[in-house]
Amino acid sequence: MELNINGKSVMTEADPNMPLLWVLRDELNMTGTKFGCGVAACGACTVHIDGQAVRSCVMPVSAVVGAKIRTIESLGTPDKQHALQAAWIAEQVPQCGYCQSGMLMAAAALLERKPKPTDADIDEAMTNICRCGTYQRVRAAIHRAAGTTTAASTATIAGVAA
Amino acid sequence: MKRRTWILSALGATGALVVGWGVMPARSRLGTGAMMLPTEGDVALNGWIKVASDGSIIMAMHRSDMGQGVHTALAMLVAEELDVPLGRVRLEQAGADSIYGNVAMFVGSLPFHPLDAEEGKKTTVVRTGEWMVGKIARELGISATGGSSSVSDAWQPLRQAAATARASLLESAATQWKVPASELKVQAGVVSHASGKSGHYGEFAKAAAGLTPANVTLKERGSWTLIGKPMMRPDVPAKTDGTARFGIDVRQPGMLFASVRQAPMLGGTVQSIDSKAALAMPGAVKLVNLPSVAGSTAGFAIVGKTTWHTKQAAQAVQVQWAQRAEGALDTQKIDAEMVAKLKSESGFTFYDKGSADKAEASAKRVIEAEYHAPYLAHATMEPMNCTAQVKDGKVEVWAPTQVPGMARAVAAKVAGVNIDNVTVHVTLLGGGFGRRLEVDFVGQAVQVAMECEGKPVQLIWSREEDTTHDFYRPMHVAQLRAAVGADGKVESLRIKSAGDTITPRWMERGLPALAGPIDMPDKTASEGLFDLPYGFANQHMSHVATRMGVPVGFWRSVGHSHNAFFSEGFIDELAVETKQDPVAFRAALLADAPRYLAVLKLAAEKAQWGSALPAGHARGVALHESFGSIVAEVVEVSVQKGQPRVHRVVCAIDCGTVVNPNTVAQQMESGVIFALSAALYGKIDIKNGEVQQTNFPTYPVVTLAQAPVVETYIVPSTRAPAGVGEPAVPPLAPAVASALFALTGTRQRTLPLKSTLTGI
Repeated sequence: MELNINGKSVMTEADPNMPLLWVLRDELNMTGTKFGCGVAACGACTVHIDGQAVRSCVMPVSAVVGAKIRTIESLGTPDKQHALQAAWIAEQVPQCGYCQSGMLMAAAALLERKPKPTDADIDEAMTNICRCGTYQRVRAAIHRAAGTTTAASTATIAGVAA
Repeated sequence: MKRRTWILSALGATGALVVGWGVMPARSRLGTGAMMLPTEGDVALNGWIKVASDGSIIMAMHRSDMGQGVHTALAMLVAEELDVPLGRVRLEQAGADSIYGNVAMFVGSLPFHPLDAEEGKKTTVVRTGEWMVGKIARELGISATGGSSSVSDAWQPLRQAAATARASLLESAATQWKVPASELKVQAGVVSHASGKSGHYGEFAKAAAGLTPANVTLKERGSWTLIGKPMMRPDVPAKTDGTARFGIDVRQPGMLFASVRQAPMLGGTVQSIDSKAALAMPGAVKLVNLPSVAGSTAGFAIVGKTTWHTKQAAQAVQVQWAQRAEGALDTQKIDAEMVAKLKSESGFTFYDKGSADKAEASAKRVIEAEYHAPYLAHATMEPMNCTAQVKDGKVEVWAPTQVPGMARAVAAKVAGVNIDNVTVHVTLLGGGFGRRLEVDFVGQAVQVAMECEGKPVQLIWSREEDTTHDFYRPMHVAQLRAAVGADGKVESLRIKSAGDTITPRWMERGLPALAGPIDMPDKTASEGLFDLPYGFANQHMSHVATRMGVPVGFWRSVGHSHNAFFSEGFIDELAVETKQDPVAFRAALLADAPRYLAVLKLAAEKAQWGSALPAGHARGVALHESFGSIVAEVVEVSVQKGQPRVHRVVCAIDCGTVVNPNTVAQQMESGVIFALSAALYGKIDIKNGEVQQTNFPTYPVVTLAQAPVVETYIVPSTRAPAGVGEPAVPPLAPAVASALFALTGTRQRTLPLKSTLTGI
């Protein structure tokens, strides 16, 4: 099977029924995309298929032959970060970080569709689960990247910004 | 047995064992350079600090980062004392020496009332207990990341190690330049002298290695440049581009994968197994039996080419499972049994003050309530996993673990090798919350690797295995009673609770050599009940320790997680019953607890307590101390389509000296969301031995659209640092329950809170 991953042609002998997630992780050693639930509920495995955010843990690899697959590994480069990656750092979004590849890919697909998302757009698009509870910073970072900035979350020492 | 009798006799028995040893000064945790990994070109100055040839610093990192930002906070302590930029401190996993053990976590497990243990006001029993347990913990040297203790434990020894390294580097420079060390200055890791000489640390490291500087002083608070400043976390960039490596991301040459299936009935066993068809499937290599290890339920693993192949094959194995010998577990029955035990057993008294009996006998009115909290799963985003290789009598383990020493011990035991032949690599943790204080999955990975002819194997649990084979937050039930006098004043508070104790079970599983033949009273069972700050003249708090058979473990904020719901929920009831404002009611009871009062007032002020809200919105409040930190939360709640919606949570915290305000804010946000998921949805039901919830669709958690805005306000403090990873969790559920009562007039005393509300 020939796959188009991050702009490159990749050959794989994987079983056609194997979900894309496991082809990426276990066949191709692209471990940035995470396994969380296996039932498309948590979004840790989110990648782009032809620009759409898709949960790769339930997507048979045979269904994405010929499609453009984009993973976290190509969201930006060390020299040229994606606006969301820069915003993620500025807002200090990740804690454990495990769900963040999927969060970023879901957010990137949202911004491609809606460059100036409202809070309601973000609510609707960002259904990924984060057990560290980074949600308000995810929201703030998406707004920051989109230039629709809201107040950042900051700690305050007795009313004086630290 | 009475609490005082127990503490004194326990201390006496321990004391008898340590006569002679006890009068020796506490063992230094400075360590020697030999404890660090020898690396080319770097010079180790003690057990914590190495200097690289370019003058940058390599520190021994002895704690696991599961999101709480401890790698940043601990590196800040080192950078501060050495006067280097945070970016010049690199981390290297600490070895297994006892200097890296956690002392603060064990001292924190003593059942002392926090008002008896305030700095400068400690009673003799508290001082003796802390001294004794501190010495024992130091000897044991158990490395663990838990109990919100990483910063408080490292606060003195790590700064001391960095300051000692700095002093020896300066002494080395002074000798080389033939100038007094007192005339040297350090800025950004560069040592300089008024004569014009300058050089970075790397130039003085070799000569510094043999020195033992006489006068090492820690920096004065006023000269800190990093501690207390919001620092960006160095681990964040790798968590935005997929390069951060978690346990599940370990890749070794020739690595196999393994999927686990455990008996669906907790504690169950394998009766018969037919793997013929499964092993004929593509990519499946072999089946390995997994007898119970470190508390796991027995099962098997299928080893093969990828996680997917092995999972498919594991599902295809035909198995007859058997219930555990003691019979099937059932949560409904357990709940009823706890209520019965509250009646039939007196329990252990954790706190007794005045006479609740007398106050109740002479009361004008007695208010009573019964509260219930369910079993809960941890549901870390990264399911349980571990990679292991057993080859030529050596074991190598890559594990996302909170307890590397226990992981090493279980690996050695399973493989039948000396512990010196086991190496544990701690990866990043995709969440911990206490689940990774267990080593069942490490034991299983080694069981599998033993059968893989020297090849490395990565064992991964499915989400379903993870949810149905957790070590659950135990179910607890509490009965609370208050006596109200003729003047309307609350004269007494009595709380009696029942539920499984965690610590003895955890010791049996992971530290069997230390587990005693009988269970000692476990502070975690009654924490959040016996240790309240309120000045009721008469109090009696007791706990009936049960042993229901469900595997139980530490769940973020442990006993506080349910007990704060019980105690603060009931305090809210008392305010309502005595017709007082919930904030004013608490404030009046905090005359002897000024730190608590300050936190409560800060939260109330920032949330504009008492000001008008949109129609259909109400506020609720709760105040709770855990892990040395006091947190108040004011929540704003409405009911939308019959369901609670939390809009805003204002948190105030006194956590002593703050190292990184950025991570304090993150942990407040994190604790609130974690607690909100539990308050709204969290519940593990067990029927016929089987956990009914299996994956996120049946064990739901809060998502972005339901997430409140969380604001954090920190009370300035010069006290030693206390915990921040857990203390935001306990106040949330009672605060939401309080707001829902204000909205609906219905008091909710069972978690999770009802999802469908009426009365609006």
